[in-house]
Amino acid sequence: MSQYRFPAYVQIGKQRYRERFGLDFEDFTKGQLFRHRPGVTISQQDNKEECINTLNQAMLHFDDYYAAQTEFGKPLIDTTLIVQHLMGMIWKTYNRRKKILGWGKIAMVAPVFGGDTLYSESEVIELQAGDKHSETGLVRVAICGLNQDKKVVCEMGCDLLIYKRNHLPFSANGY
Amino acid sequence: MLLRVNFMKESFYFLKAVADNVFIERIGIDFEDFEVGQVFEHRPGRTFTEASCLDYAFHSFDLTPFVTDQVYARRVYGDRVRVLETFILSAMAHTTKTFGKVVANLEMSECKILPVYVGDTLYFESEILSKRASKSRPEQGILSVYSRAKNQHSECVCAYKRTLLVYRKNCGPYAAAGY
Repeated sequence: MSQYRFPAYVQIGKQRYRERFGLDFEDFTKGQLFRHRPGVTISQQDNKEECINTLNQAMLHFDDYYAAQTEFGKPLIDTTLIVQHLMGMIWKTYNRRKKILGWGKIAMVAPVFGGDTLYSESEVIELQAGDKHSETGLVRVAICGLNQDKKVVCEMGCDLLIYKRNHLPFSANGY
Repeated sequence: MLLRVNFMKESFYFLKAVADNVFIERIGIDFEDFEVGQVFEHRPGRTFTEASCLDYAFHSFDLTPFVTDQVYARRVYGDRVRVLETFILSAMAHTTKTFGKVVANLEMSECKILPVYVGDTLYFESEILSKRASKSRPEQGILSVYSRAKNQHSECVCAYKRTLLVYRKNCGPYAAAGY
């Protein structure tokens, strides 16, 4: 079997291809590990803007002088910015989702600072197909955030509802 | 005999006098002043606009069609624009006015999310579940907090437990940083 799996295009004409994203529920198997690319470098400016967007008042994230007096010596990147990026970076593989149900756990294992680069990895932990008429199945994934030194900075468990193959709203809507 | 009880702990005050008629604004409650069972209602509420939701999604690099393609989204999910789940979770950071003396956020667990739509307004509240001293960090303590978001119809749409490391009274970088 070829090492290349899951086409990134649907052929809709002789020389016409349309980009497609994501795996159907049936394509996921327990134990699959996905390394999501590209990664993203987070700046202190991003951190400050995240605090503005989420009305975060913790000066640890945006008062550089205050942060310099803490044990970290510089502003700590906000948890929500890390979660936002780690969840955002998995979108291509998990594009066929109906919704995110929630997170079992989000553990911040090591600090992240402006200038660090984050990479997202996800492993399929559990699959629940539900009843055969349901349009989605539950995919439980362990998402791991790594920095440029391959050090784990965040570990989380996430429950997603992914469309089953015969229930995809995508094809009917031009996807 | 009339008992006069002061319910307000020291760090519940908003201003601290640093000289005669000179005040400095305080942010966050000291670890000692948290008690198990306290509930804090965070204000102001927060209304989600369509522009802020789409902007937030783009910043996370998430290009799911329900965000980028509103023709698709309306066909699949109906006329109301849904707020991205990570944005709902992140909006809970609004609780930091009370938890401003945080050293670091250690863990969140049991995060549950129900749909939130553009135009909805969320109000947040937090309950102190437990507190304990940190063995390795004598100047800090560990708080377990349950936070939830209610919409304008008082329905709980997001909730999670959090473990926070918080500075004790007169500890931390505050004096040095001019806080």
